Amino acid sequence: MKLSLSWIKDFVQIPEDLDLKKLAYDLTMSTVEVEDVEDLARRFDHMVVGVIEKIEPHPNADKLRVCKTDIGNGEIKDIVCGGINLREGMRVAVSCPGAVVRWHGEGEPVVIKNSKLRGVESFGMICASSEIGLGDLFPAAEEAEILDLSAFDVPAGTPLADALDMNDVLLEIDNKSMTNRPDLWGHYGIAREIAALYGLPLKEIKPYAADVQSDFHVDIADPDRCTRYIGVEMSGVAVKPSPYQMQNRIWKAGMRPINALVDITNYVMLATGNPTHAFDADNITDHIVVRHAAEGEKLVLLNDQELTLCPDDLVITDSEGPVALAGVMGGSKDSILPKTTRVILEVANFESTGIRRTALRYDTRTEASSRYEKAVDPERCDQALALSMQYFKELYPELTVTGFCDNYVKKLEKAQIDVSLAWLAKRLGKDLTNEEIQNKLELLGFEVQIDGDNMHVTAPTWRSTGDISIKDDVMEEVARMYGYDNFEATPFTTAFTGAINQKDQDLLRGIKEYLAFRCGMQEVYTYPWMNDVYVNAVLQSTEGVLRLSTPPAPDLSYIRSSLLPNLCEAVAKNERYFSDFSIFEEAQVFFDRNYTAPYDETELLPEQKRHIGAAFASSEKDITELFREAKGVLEYMPRYTHMEGFTFRKEEKPVWADHVVWLNIYRGEERIGDMGLLAKKVSMDCGIKNLSVMLFELDTTKLVPLKSRTNKFTHLAEYPETDYDISMLFDSGAVWADIYEAIMGQKKASALVKEASFVDEYRGKQIPAGKKSVTIRLTIGSSEKTLTSQEIESAANQVMKKLGKKLGAELRTQ
Amino acid sequence: MKDKIESILSEVKNKIASAASESELQNVKSAYVGKQGSLSLLMKELPKLEPEKRPEMGKLLNQAKNEVTELIDAKRMELKLKASEVSPDFDCSVPGILPSGGRLHPITQMCYDLNDAFRSMGFEIFQEDDITSELYAFDKLNFPPNHPARESMDTYWLEGHDSGSTNEKLCLRPHLTGGSVRYMQTHKPPYRFVYPGRVYRNETTDAHHERAFFQYEALIVDKDITFTSGKVMINSILSKVFGTDVPVRMRSGFFPFVEPGFEIDMQCQVCGGKGCSVCKHVGWIEVMPGGSPHPNVLRAAGLDPDEYTGFYVNIGLDRLVMMRYGVDDVRLFHSADLRFLKQFR
Repeated sequence: MKLSLSWIKDFVQIPEDLDLKKLAYDLTMSTVEVEDVEDLARRFDHMVVGVIEKIEPHPNADKLRVCKTDIGNGEIKDIVCGGINLREGMRVAVSCPGAVVRWHGEGEPVVIKNSKLRGVESFGMICASSEIGLGDLFPAAEEAEILDLSAFDVPAGTPLADALDMNDVLLEIDNKSMTNRPDLWGHYGIAREIAALYGLPLKEIKPYAADVQSDFHVDIADPDRCTRYIGVEMSGVAVKPSPYQMQNRIWKAGMRPINALVDITNYVMLATGNPTHAFDADNITDHIVVRHAAEGEKLVLLNDQELTLCPDDLVITDSEGPVALAGVMGGSKDSILPKTTRVILEVANFESTGIRRTALRYDTRTEASSRYEKAVDPERCDQALALSMQYFKELYPELTVTGFCDNYVKKLEKAQIDVSLAWLAKRLGKDLTNEEIQNKLELLGFEVQIDGDNMHVTAPTWRSTGDISIKDDVMEEVARMYGYDNFEATPFTTAFTGAINQKDQDLLRGIKEYLAFRCGMQEVYTYPWMNDVYVNAVLQSTEGVLRLSTPPAPDLSYIRSSLLPNLCEAVAKNERYFSDFSIFEEAQVFFDRNYTAPYDETELLPEQKRHIGAAFASSEKDITELFREAKGVLEYMPRYTHMEGFTFRKEEKPVWADHVVWLNIYRGEERIGDMGLLAKKVSMDCGIKNLSVMLFELDTTKLVPLKSRTNKFTHLAEYPETDYDISMLFDSGAVWADIYEAIMGQKKASALVKEASFVDEYRGKQIPAGKKSVTIRLTIGSSEKTLTSQEIESAANQVMKKLGKKLGAELRTQ
Repeated sequence: MKDKIESILSEVKNKIASAASESELQNVKSAYVGKQGSLSLLMKELPKLEPEKRPEMGKLLNQAKNEVTELIDAKRMELKLKASEVSPDFDCSVPGILPSGGRLHPITQMCYDLNDAFRSMGFEIFQEDDITSELYAFDKLNFPPNHPARESMDTYWLEGHDSGSTNEKLCLRPHLTGGSVRYMQTHKPPYRFVYPGRVYRNETTDAHHERAFFQYEALIVDKDITFTSGKVMINSILSKVFGTDVPVRMRSGFFPFVEPGFEIDMQCQVCGGKGCSVCKHVGWIEVMPGGSPHPNVLRAAGLDPDEYTGFYVNIGLDRLVMMRYGVDDVRLFHSADLRFLKQFR
């Protein structure tokens, strides 16, 4: 909302020495956020009123003229101009060197300099209204029309800001910061708040007293939706421009002046915050009735939008049907027309939520509806009426009021609140005297009666539309008037009840830190919604997947039941820049199943879990290497993050996985995740070109943190242990798990073998077809003595013999 | 003979002092004190001397030999200390090798910094599910029935769950505060917990607006809390996170679920409060709304607002991280772009 300081000063006498920066700061700290304070005259620096003395043709251009222009102090300057309405004796706006304009009202601001136009020296520029930001105040009929200021009786050389009454300050207030303060939506409301903040006198708007006898009346069908309706029937008006000061202020507040009749209604709304409307009385048949619309009833709005109404809509009607959508917009039938001579002025109060529903239903939020929907106080109609009548009489001295009706069907109850002073002191953390409290509240218009510990507060009507209703609201008023920044910070005290022990939280963090710091992976975030491309490629089914009803984009409607589709998308996006990387994400996944009511028995929530997903992508590593990297990250995770371990099994291939390279992850008998190689077809569908991608996904809700660290201490070996590598030929299909079992299983191949580890495997040259060579590292030692080399070799031989017998392995001879 | 000894001694001292390597030193040793060394050879000449001079000269010779041996040992130690295994041309300006290791997301980093700060003050960490009902997103938070945020333009409703009564309408949570009510319902007061999480708004995105972003809520509920207590909490947290005292101001603000409510601004850390484009030239950045939980919210959580009160803040994590690193586009956080993420070690 934009406010003019000079307009605010109509209602409150702000001391001349009050620093405007301080005013804006104080309003921001205590009431609403002032986003900008603009010294309006600065826009018109280096601009003066000039008088065109003589117009001469331009020697080199048909469309340009050279205007000998008086810019004051006897200075006559040559200014080249292409305006179509130039005439001698015309008063114009001259931008002198240094002024800032926009060419044709568009684009970036430009600083005016002395320049040559087609070979002729030109001093500055004679401006069109849009070029100096006044297009809305002085609309031009054609683009090349120059702003004609002949109606302003000022001498040449008068600064433009003085001539056009632009020596003002504009306050820009963040609308969001005042949604809860309907009383502030107007210059009077802000003036009232400033008066309260500084203890300044506020000007009262004297109510209008009607003295007319007639049968003019207004009927209200639903007092809950329309609490008050004042209608004033007047004759002797006409459509004409409103006075410049009124236009100027309407423009400063961000609206456009139209004509005197419309301008009065907008001006009054901007002043008081209460919307008003004027009907052409000749277009109203019989009298006005405010009622609900009938189902299917039609109304054409002022903007030519045709509505088919429903009974929740409130309409202003005459005997022929709806003439306006109450509190939102007038209808085209009743509009002020060029021939209008009689009007009915509407000053009314409508209930907020109904107005909001209707405005949203037809997508027509207007200046009026956005004020009504914040709950305007019906008493404010008196101010709006008084100001309206003052301006009607000023602008139309011949006017006659022919009918008047104030149908005030539902009086507003002032909010009454009892506040314990002891409670207030405790919550404020500060002892204010009763006088201080009373004074702060009374400045805001509250009535205060103190009786012992009880303070009885009566809120003013303008704060009683829902804004102030409980004692906490009263506390807030005292606190903000005192200034939040003026309260000293007091530390809170609290009882010690025990150390924070959240193993589940520690585990999640432990896993993420393990993956990032120990496994060298990068944590990423992706959105909860998945692109259809990756859903189809990776999940291949949308059964049990939840959808958004208004998704960010049509192909982003599914919300994730797995982290893998988005991780595949991340891999595809990063392929352009990286050829070897690993990423992980920890986030929530959702399932359209297993609805439960964990908090409120009526609230059924779908199954939601937290998963960790990871992708290892490389075009440099071979599949075995990549597989072992991913598997290693999983295998060592329980040890490093202190949780119960898990096992790998091959039960059911994940749909996205390669036919050979995959594993299911189990904890006990429960499958808690999968790992595997992204199948080539899926990878291609994801747009991944050259990278091999190993994925895993784990349900972290199934992971169980250990109560404490469980590493056991083993005595250091008393006698040396030796690593002894053997390479043997196995059938190509032999698996390490069996080899390990043969060496280290129940019946150990040799008591001296402490551990057997996989070194590598090899197929290819020098290895017979259908075979592979596996290199195994044996750790051999004894707890009783240092072994001789014969003893070590014999232990290794026992292992080789056993592998030969059990798995048909042969010693590699070459 | 005495003169001879002294001249040899001064000669050998010079040689030892100028020896540049151990092998040179070894040569000196054998040339003077070795079997054929000049001092050893003098020893053999002792018997040729007059008997009464022999003891004195013998003593002098032995002293000389010992002195030379000691000097050589000392010099050898000195050379050892100076020695290097590599050529003096070794280039110490070659760059180091990056330790292997990945990174947490910058928002996770900020979240963990805050967790550590709050835990040090005895706060628990709470985590809740992303899908919630209108009942918990709005009703229990004192949002009037026609609050604009309830409309679909702001909240992501789930298909098949987007109509009916408020307990039946499900959405991706638009804020965290509903989850705080769940915590309060299932725990006994007093409360002191933080609640980090991702929230969702159906909005148009730009460099400063996202559809998914992170909030970090902190809530204290106890019997005797003044709203000014919260100031202490905010000051200590921000100074811990930014490593320096960050000026903070509290000003009037409005949110349905708090009464009174305020906006908490921190001094812009980019310009130090002088005013810059980041803070729109005001020197302050809005970082968190806060306030005392509205009595209706406490009631919804099953507490008596006459007995309990509290202090609440909701920190915009994205904005805090943007401030910490000077990130100028909030959309980068969800981009999964490694070129961006790799910068935050």
